[in-house]
Amino acid sequence: MSIKEELLRLVGPESFTDDPAVLKAYSTDFSLVPPGAANYVVKPKKTEEVHDVIKLANAHSIPVVPVSSRVHFHGTTIPKQGGIILDLTTMNNVLEIDALNKRVRIEAGVTWEQLTSELAKKGFRMVMPLLPHPLRSVVTDYLEREVLINTVYDYGEPLQSMEVVWPTGEVFRTGSASVTGYPDSPSKGANPSGPGLDFYRFLQGAQGTMGVVTWANLKIEYLPKIDKILFAPVDDLDYAIEFLYRILRIRIGQECLLLNSINLATIIADDWHSDFEKLRASLPPWTLILVISAFQRRPEEKIQYEEQALEEILRNEFPEIHIADHLPGSPGLGKKLLPMLRKPWPEQVTYWKQRPKGGCQSLFFITKPTWVSRFVGKIAEMAASHGYPIADVGGYLQPIEHNRACQLEFNFFYDPASYSEVERVRGLYGEAAKVLLSEGALFTRPYGEELTQLVYEKAADYTMTLRRVKNIFDPNNIMNPGNLCF
Amino acid sequence: MAISEEAYKVLESIVGPEYISADPAICEGYRAGPGGYECGLGYERVMTRVPGCVVMPRTTEEVQRIVKVCNRYGLPFVPYSTGFYGARSHPHVSDALLIDLKRMNDFEIDDQHLYAVVGSGVIYSQLQEEAMSRGMYAIVGGGGSQVSAIANMIGDGWSPLSYRIGLPHRRILGTELVLPDGELVRLGSLALQDDPFWGEGPGPDLRGLLRGFTGHRGFLGIVTRMAIKLLPFQPERLEPTGISPHTTLQLPTNRVKWINFTMPSTDSMQQAMVEMAKAEIGGAVTKVPIFWRAIARAGSKEEFWELWSKETEETIRDFHVLRVLIVGFTSEEQLEYEEAVLMDIIGELGGEARRTRPTDESWFKNADSAGMWLMCGGYVSVDYVIETVEHAIPHGENYAKLKRNYTPPLMPDYGDPGWFQSFELGHQGYSEFLVYWDPDENTDGVDQFYLETSKENIRKRFYTSLLGAHQPLYLTGPAYGPNYHKWLLEVKDEFDPNHVCHPPVPLAHDVFVERAEWMKPLKDWGGPDITAEP
Amino acid sequence: MPEEKVSLDVTDAANFIYDMSRCIKCKGCTWVDHIYMPGVKYSTRCPSATKYLFDSYGAYGKMRIGLALLEGRLDYTDEVLKILYACTLCGACDVGCKRNLDLEIELTLEALRIQAVKAGKGPMPEHKKIAQNIMEKHNSFGAPHENRTKWLADGIKPSPKADVLYFVGCSASYTHPEIAQATAGILNASGVPFMLLPDERCCGNTLYSVGMVDEARELAQRNIDAVRQAGANTLLTSCAEGYRMWKVDYPKMLNMSTADLGFEVVHLVEYVDGLIKEGALKLANRVDLRLTYHDPCSLSRLSEPWVPWEGERGLWGVVDPPLERRRGTNGVYQPPRDVLDSIPGIELVEMPRMRENAFCCGAGRGTKVAFPDFASWAAEQRLAEVKEVGAEAIVSACPWCKDNFAEAVSRNGASLKVLDFSELVLSAVGSTG
Repeated sequence: MSIKEELLRLVGPESFTDDPAVLKAYSTDFSLVPPGAANYVVKPKKTEEVHDVIKLANAHSIPVVPVSSRVHFHGTTIPKQGGIILDLTTMNNVLEIDALNKRVRIEAGVTWEQLTSELAKKGFRMVMPLLPHPLRSVVTDYLEREVLINTVYDYGEPLQSMEVVWPTGEVFRTGSASVTGYPDSPSKGANPSGPGLDFYRFLQGAQGTMGVVTWANLKIEYLPKIDKILFAPVDDLDYAIEFLYRILRIRIGQECLLLNSINLATIIADDWHSDFEKLRASLPPWTLILVISAFQRRPEEKIQYEEQALEEILRNEFPEIHIADHLPGSPGLGKKLLPMLRKPWPEQVTYWKQRPKGGCQSLFFITKPTWVSRFVGKIAEMAASHGYPIADVGGYLQPIEHNRACQLEFNFFYDPASYSEVERVRGLYGEAAKVLLSEGALFTRPYGEELTQLVYEKAADYTMTLRRVKNIFDPNNIMNPGNLCF
Repeated sequence: MAISEEAYKVLESIVGPEYISADPAICEGYRAGPGGYECGLGYERVMTRVPGCVVMPRTTEEVQRIVKVCNRYGLPFVPYSTGFYGARSHPHVSDALLIDLKRMNDFEIDDQHLYAVVGSGVIYSQLQEEAMSRGMYAIVGGGGSQVSAIANMIGDGWSPLSYRIGLPHRRILGTELVLPDGELVRLGSLALQDDPFWGEGPGPDLRGLLRGFTGHRGFLGIVTRMAIKLLPFQPERLEPTGISPHTTLQLPTNRVKWINFTMPSTDSMQQAMVEMAKAEIGGAVTKVPIFWRAIARAGSKEEFWELWSKETEETIRDFHVLRVLIVGFTSEEQLEYEEAVLMDIIGELGGEARRTRPTDESWFKNADSAGMWLMCGGYVSVDYVIETVEHAIPHGENYAKLKRNYTPPLMPDYGDPGWFQSFELGHQGYSEFLVYWDPDENTDGVDQFYLETSKENIRKRFYTSLLGAHQPLYLTGPAYGPNYHKWLLEVKDEFDPNHVCHPPVPLAHDVFVERAEWMKPLKDWGGPDITAEP
Repeated sequence: MPEEKVSLDVTDAANFIYDMSRCIKCKGCTWVDHIYMPGVKYSTRCPSATKYLFDSYGAYGKMRIGLALLEGRLDYTDEVLKILYACTLCGACDVGCKRNLDLEIELTLEALRIQAVKAGKGPMPEHKKIAQNIMEKHNSFGAPHENRTKWLADGIKPSPKADVLYFVGCSASYTHPEIAQATAGILNASGVPFMLLPDERCCGNTLYSVGMVDEARELAQRNIDAVRQAGANTLLTSCAEGYRMWKVDYPKMLNMSTADLGFEVVHLVEYVDGLIKEGALKLANRVDLRLTYHDPCSLSRLSEPWVPWEGERGLWGVVDPPLERRRGTNGVYQPPRDVLDSIPGIELVEMPRMRENAFCCGAGRGTKVAFPDFASWAAEQRLAEVKEVGAEAIVSACPWCKDNFAEAVSRNGASLKVLDFSELVLSAVGSTG
């Protein structure tokens, strides 16, 4: 039997295609990663089919590219060496919402849109990244360690136990889901760790190269009873960062982030043509957004003590920070923005990163907040030298873990139809990645060939060890080859 | 000399003559038992050996060179931070090299960015004092204040304070790991630069090699340096007071308070935990097992037994004490708010606050684990569990039933189903089961109980610590994953091709079952032939 | 298993097999109590474990080695003897362990030395020389016995008979007469008559400490008889080691209680504290000094009275009759501090390791003579702590501490005053009450 015949037998004709038009759609995405075509697309309906397809692929050394989202921004799902697209978007059941243990179990194809609305009905929410695309896979975004906008939960990452199909085809459950017969067990899958090894760690940041996650348990949180969204215009980023060192350490706030004028304008503009330019001219250079929340019990008292602590600090230590429940010049911003922060981007509106010009190349990394200005300055220099107006660079500063670290993100917008703009952004991005890496920017999620190569060359002993681990789980290197250092 | 002269000379040239010894007296000093964690039991008697040589490196480079020498000369080695974990952290074969890491005690702290960087020789009480004097705190894991912070972070790492802070896995930042073949891998931000402030990546996270739910006991390399995440605390000092044995921390009760509550039932305690988690209040919450109270009150072993002999199944069953920590992380007003919410919850559930001393003997600076040996002289935490509170309760009851069959030699506990608490603001539940025995009695039953517990967990589909190196791998492996053992052994083979890193772990418990006459009859699982070499 | 007869008799190391086999290797014996842990510096209180590093030199190692010796699995090699004797028996391990457990670590260490001597292997050659000095000249130094009272300066007039008998000790008699003179001066200033023993001899500290128990016992009986004969109600000493010998080890060797001695054993720090509180002594002279107080081991951790015990041990290790263990809780910690605090001008600053966590000076109980490098090293460690708290002076209440610290100071050239409690108090003495 040919591979095609085998695949048809395994998943059925309704779940298989090799239609060139369909293959073409998978061969590019919204990144600058060059196109690459697969040979087949299969859409398994259940784990058994995933297992069967991977087993077959492994036996014949055929690459498998897992795809769980409907949109992609980093080029991770562009097939680099052909093979089979394993599209899990129709494995999209919300399997359990476990209120008692604040847990949800979802299949890989479940989107942000789907999950956030299901949870909201039950009074729950996810700790979210910033305005994810509604059609992105929730599981993938957590696996890929998208940075979260809420810094207050000390226990961190929402991802718990998972089901994975290894590149050799075995179906395996990690953490406490590994008990025989799960979920028919007293174990609910709340422990991500083990058994024996922390398998879940190998799957994180893996861009689908270590195995295919079919479902995952995730932590959910209650929706607050009271929220107050606050804003502060920021001219002096260093001063604002000092302020964050102070308040986030004493656990003030839930969501907390900074956006520069262009990014905030991109997000809040209603009518693009009439609003965007006005907004970006009128918004302050950066805006601090801080949400204070309270839950079911004595919520007013919670808001009160938190506000009191905040006011004391502002009054006694940071008189130049002017926090208010509104942003001067932007009426109704609070009412608009707060619900947005708890949901994905609305599907009917062009994704915010694509609104300015259609294309967006994002450069993001982890660093210490105290180094932020230095990096901002470097980007400004490099943007200028590439003829990219600094005022057009999107900026997003996300404090992490009580501001002991942060993610700094720069967005370079470009018109994908303009060759010169594409090249300019490519050049700027390439140089910025190299320079920032050498200056200590921590690229923990290297996407795209250029950055990936820089990172893994620098991390020589890590790369070597990673390849040794990969070789154990994927001796034939079939799982999304060409990504990372594989 | 127990190890080859050539190997000895090379090792001596690496660390210097002052820091190596094959003297029988020096080596005898490193014997695992007869006292200690999981000591005075079959595993310790059958599996542990005195080392053939002890070496004390100072730097990661020295450790690397030592490990490479071990690979070159086929010299089995075991990493050793304090040795408190007991039998499993000591050599299991004769003439092994014990690598005592106590000289690796460098320490740095970045209080603006909430982390400390430690060597394997730094212990928790040092770390915690440095953290607390700067307005931060760490979790002192169950092993207590004198354990190596690194060893605990890769093997255990939880306490009632995990209610808010959660698993240690996320508090492991940039780390240096010397693999069993001597290669050095730097994890997290150390992969790309010199500041170890971040733990992830790049890309897939190789911290997955450091541990599982519990630790490797040293069979997959040696961690020589680790940045450990600290958490912000509050600004007031917890003042040390008292003279031994009554030393304690005086709490600034405007910012830090423990409150004990009497509750009407186990259900109400579970409910209290759920409600607290929902309200997102508290720094710790735990059910108090009654024998802790007896230990705390007793001035001696004899006093303990006098108190304990007054307990019955009824008193145990009816003892429902919940201990709650509240901290005004943000302000004094936060503490007042949390206390008000807490009282609302407890009141609704029919509980009552008891008079509680404004002090902390355990949990901040210690886990009081040494006190666990007071009663009987033998102690181990057989099973500890991080899952959900829902999992914790039936597991506890099941376990208590099984334990009856092995009491004696286990200490009578009147059916106490262990202690449990909430972790990660209700996302998880923790439970732990401690057993005690008199090492001078016939302890075969304790060894058997351990194994039976593991089998029962498998039968009943519980997820517990009795995995990896802690129980026969060929017993637990097929039941979890399934076949996690296959991957574990492949990883082990890849990184330890010469089998010099703490042999025969992770198969040590399999070997124990083969060697011990009283264990053999319990073997009812398959697997390859594990040769029982001496 | 049947009940086992057991007693706290150090002449039979088998009495401590239980203790040796129940050590859990928690290392609470080495580290400062976690409640008081100062951080990454000054973290330990066992000088032996801190200097020699191998686990074998900590109590956990010694317990295991002790068992091996008793079971014949290990021979008495040079290394074994070094492990047993490069240790000041300071009691830090005992107190550290007893915070949580009921193990007699100190007694075990004493018993192991007695056993080594019985086996003809111990003590160290240097100790044998000391023993010879004591046998022949009745003092540790081998100095002429007749020079023992040379410290008596003009103006010091002991009474032929008094309630208080001042036991001077070898050190204050021969090498640190300033301590004896200051002590006498304080007693005079307080109007307290005191007598001396007509023929004072060494208390036998080194003999007992190194395991020469038979010789030490003989000396103890002789000395006790002498004090009883003199009719003293109070035996006063200014030496912490002597204090411990009289109060604890004499009764221990003679299988009696401290209370049965027939006289009270008091250290100068306690006595002066009492005098001040009664109003019999006033420290009115100003002494402008920022100082720190070093708790001598024998006056602090090791100083609780002795009560002999024997009984049975059964299941779970429970003993009968119940035994109140000496955990160092009631050591003489506060009286010297109260006294120092009462001196005008004194600024008393505490070191990170204080009271039961104090780091031994390294000299005591025969250690310095056999391991001079170890003693010097320990003193340096402690002096670094003194420097850390910015003290101008270190005050202790034992001539062995003073001696070792003073030597270290003169060696490293630090500008630090090393004082005995007696000297400081004398300099602060004003009129009596």
